[in-house]
Amino acid sequence: MKINTKQMLKILLILSWIIFIGVCIEAGGSIFSAFYTLVINPINASRFWVENDLSSLYKYDPGHFFAETLLISIAAVMKACIFYLIVKILHDKKLDMSQPFSSEIRLFIIRVSCLAFGIGLFTAWGVQYTGWLVAQGVKMPDTQHLRLGGADVWLFMSVILFVIAQIFKRGIEIQSENELTV
Amino acid sequence: MPIIVNLDVMMAKRKMSLNELSEKVGLTLSNLSILKTGKAKAIRFSTLEAICKVLDCQPADILEYKED
Repeated sequence: MKINTKQMLKILLILSWIIFIGVCIEAGGSIFSAFYTLVINPINASRFWVENDLSSLYKYDPGHFFAETLLISIAAVMKACIFYLIVKILHDKKLDMSQPFSSEIRLFIIRVSCLAFGIGLFTAWGVQYTGWLVAQGVKMPDTQHLRLGGADVWLFMSVILFVIAQIFKRGIEIQSENELTV
Repeated sequence: MPIIVNLDVMMAKRKMSLNELSEKVGLTLSNLSILKTGKAKAIRFSTLEAICKVLDCQPADILEYKED
């Protein structure tokens, strides 16, 4: 059985919805966990979102705990935003394979590129910050468990997407010229 | 654009409607309309050849260069 583009896009939409729900839960979970620890019950720091033990960080300084959880939350929210954009573009059926070069798709690529750059920046910052905290003698979980890994991959992705957006700009011009050729 | 398409002038001279030209040339009405209104960015030699053949004219009768 051969899968055509329409079916492929449908599968991608379903996958994107699943990932979007997952990253939304992760973002909401980390924000709620940080809020709960800082405002309601500090004991929660020992089993921060996905069982990360941040109790020693909270004991060291609640301010640093806030900064660290803020970086984790910002990266998680940005990931959710990326998948929201992907779900939106697939759901609105803006991907027209007969005329693939459109300004909406270009704008989408630029937005995803900017968000990927932001995630790369914040996760890199988070990794550096965690390293600094470890150097101060604070017992910290692994950055992979804190969802702060892969900063270089995000930055690489943002650069690639930015280049693709520039190619799209030229593609839109060529497509419109082609449409107006009789 | 300094290139002016005088297709409507030639059509009037030959007393030919857009529908008739469209049928004889084999172009869609919308494409002919794009050409007639000067919105076209390019014209294929094959299209030009077909129009010249049907209207019995030269390319210079259809296309004109006028500086802006």
